[in-house]
Amino acid sequence: MREINNNEYHQWIKETKEIIDKFPERKKSFKTSSKIPVERLYLPSEITNSYLEKLNFPGEYPFTRGIQPTMYRGRLWSMRQYAGFSSAEESNKRYKYLLEQGQTGLSIAFDLPTQIGYDSDDPRAKGEVGKVGVAIDSLKDMEILFDAIPLDKVSTSMTINAPAAILLAMYIVVAEKQGVSADKLSGTIQNDILKEYIARGTYIFPPKPSMRLITDIFKYCSKNMPKWNTISISGYHIREAGSTAVQEIAFTIGNAIAYVESALETGLEIDEFAPRLAFFFNSHNNFFEEIAKFRAARRIWAKVMKERFNAKKKKSLQLRFHTQTAGSTLTAQQPDNNIVRVTLQALAAILGGTQSLHTNSRDEALALPTEESARIALRTQQIIAYESGVTDTVDPLGGSYYIEELTDRIEKEVEKYLQKIDELGGAVKAIEEGYIQREIHKAAYDYQQDIERKQQWIIGLNAFAIENEKMPEIHRVDPIVAQEQEQKLLELKATRDNYAVTSTLKALKEAAKTDKNLMPYIIDAVKVYATLGEITNVLRDVFGEYQPS
Amino acid sequence: MKKKIRVLIAKPGLDGHDRGALIIAQGLRDEGMEVIYTGLRQTPDQIVSTAIQEDVDCIGLSILSGAHNELFPEVTRLLKENGAEDILVIGGGVIPEDDIPYLKEQGVKAVFTPGTPIAEIVKFIKENVVNETMDSFEKKINKSLKKIDHIGIAVEKLDTAINFFKNTLGLEMLGLDEVANEGVKIAFFKIGDIKIELLEPIDEESPIYKYLQKKGEGIHHLAFEVEDILYQFQLMGELGIPLLQDTPKIGANGKKVGFIHPKASHKVLIEFCERGDG
Repeated sequence: MREINNNEYHQWIKETKEIIDKFPERKKSFKTSSKIPVERLYLPSEITNSYLEKLNFPGEYPFTRGIQPTMYRGRLWSMRQYAGFSSAEESNKRYKYLLEQGQTGLSIAFDLPTQIGYDSDDPRAKGEVGKVGVAIDSLKDMEILFDAIPLDKVSTSMTINAPAAILLAMYIVVAEKQGVSADKLSGTIQNDILKEYIARGTYIFPPKPSMRLITDIFKYCSKNMPKWNTISISGYHIREAGSTAVQEIAFTIGNAIAYVESALETGLEIDEFAPRLAFFFNSHNNFFEEIAKFRAARRIWAKVMKERFNAKKKKSLQLRFHTQTAGSTLTAQQPDNNIVRVTLQALAAILGGTQSLHTNSRDEALALPTEESARIALRTQQIIAYESGVTDTVDPLGGSYYIEELTDRIEKEVEKYLQKIDELGGAVKAIEEGYIQREIHKAAYDYQQDIERKQQWIIGLNAFAIENEKMPEIHRVDPIVAQEQEQKLLELKATRDNYAVTSTLKALKEAAKTDKNLMPYIIDAVKVYATLGEITNVLRDVFGEYQPS
Repeated sequence: MKKKIRVLIAKPGLDGHDRGALIIAQGLRDEGMEVIYTGLRQTPDQIVSTAIQEDVDCIGLSILSGAHNELFPEVTRLLKENGAEDILVIGGGVIPEDDIPYLKEQGVKAVFTPGTPIAEIVKFIKENVVNETMDSFEKKINKSLKKIDHIGIAVEKLDTAINFFKNTLGLEMLGLDEVANEGVKIAFFKIGDIKIELLEPIDEESPIYKYLQKKGEGIHHLAFEVEDILYQFQLMGELGIPLLQDTPKIGANGKKVGFIHPKASHKVLIEFCERGDG
């Protein structure tokens, strides 16, 4: 290794060595196929102030090169495939299968009625039960969902937003029944309502009470669940709705600032909750821009936390994120081509330093993935992780003229948007006013027009198309699940302690009218098998429902 | 006839993915169509009643959650139930190829899956809506005009005219009436199902007085019987045919009537008169 005479560098070497002594890297030494040794980190010949300011060493502010000093040499990202469909029984089987296949974390997809707080027997749930995820009506379903999956061993991510507090409560109670206390649980709830108003659509309550539920969760978890990610602030869906890479980061960080401010207003200290904030980004087609985007996002967040919010703890300054490859880039035409798209997008996320990753299946423009397609998607991650060697050095593209220029440029463009959002009075106001939605729609329409005018080629769609393609087998959800869920609800309501249900719901309603933390009340109601719909309806009564303008 | 095509873009079910719906809405607007977007989470009931209320020519349904087999047919069923099956229904979203024949059977005229260029959808709507609209106008017109109710003749002196039609031609006289707001006295005769209406002005404000001054005696108007005068007014409005009044008025025998401006009907004054016991 070259000799670099720099105090900060020596300090980093020293600290990194201490970490490696505690958590050894995956191998003693890393080599290329030609036996050329691979260093942990490659650096410019001279460590200038500008380098330290913009890039610094991995694990050091502003974390442009990654949040840990050893990154994937130490531990690979979590391979976390989003899955769930039909009934709790069926999904439980799929989770066990994925864990056997080497997946390292669970990611639960709920059906739309669950995400919007309707029981499966609600007339508004018609046609949607069990379709895009698993149907959960009560604790009973949750017990089945995690049957024989040890919750102290596995980390679980739940894509749930408006009713996040209820599903988290169910998870806590299921764990308790397994003998696992809440402080041992690790995982994430998405819990990001602002992007629901912007892009994803599964909102229930208006912004104000929604923000209150979120900060209730922050407070509850900061005391009881130190390993739990209380929110996953999501750019993913903003991007899927058609935003640009710059907008994805800008609007996500804009939302994050709103959550932080809202938590500070309720009296939480920044370093109490900031370390548990997590992010969720998209990985799209433009390879280098995506890599630069992830690096820029880390730097921007670190600065926001330090300069705007005066955060002190290192963990408060670090942007940790999950990535999913871009569903909207998948084509229904020649679906096997999607495997290649997903590979490139996954690679961009990894070169960008993601903490966990979901790779989409090739058939998602047609239906929910088949088991075979889901397996290929997981294999894609495993091939990158174990065969390509890209994991053997930290931030391998750091210092590339192109990547660094793009990183700087994205940061600058994002800052312009953040300033605009500040001028509008923050993200909540900007959303209520429709500014963010309009910006995204403009970008989406531009992109569509580029495709139609063939300024943007999409292989298999507007270029190199094939006539009369044969379509692959697809996954179908058995419609019987809706009836089964209705039956389960009938039985549940006949056998549970209905007096306890009524009294816990009444207590919840009273608490909702005050500013008490609602988590304990929700846990009480969940424990006696009050249904998701019943609990949500109590809150609907008090909070009202969001009406988009 | 050149009428803007009106389209309702709707998101049935609980699915919140509306990038496609929004892009299609804008694309159709750019093509000169009038587009209404329902927003998220609409029930089939809400969609059908909005479509009827807004008098759209086409409904575009978008679902990405897989609930299309339940919700699309519910929309077409409700349209039929409400007598609005002439509205063109098309669908889009993540919809497997295998489901398309079933949806078409259920009355969804076309299903556009991911990757369809907007131009293709525009073309389909233009071809199918315009034809359907023309057809349905023709159907409506043929349905609404079934017979001549009466022929109006302006006369100087009702007495002498009655004498001619009753005694010389031997027609059966039905009776006399006076319509004060039109300033006329009227005598009715019957021949087959058709009536002859003789009109004599009672003052100088009467349109019949003016007619006699200008043109002298003769056939004044042709009256068609219609089922629903308000509907007839609306239809003429949609076709751009000028009427002499904005709303129907009360004519002879207390019937609701209205007139087409003669400049739009080859100088023949045409009256619509609502069927009634009279």
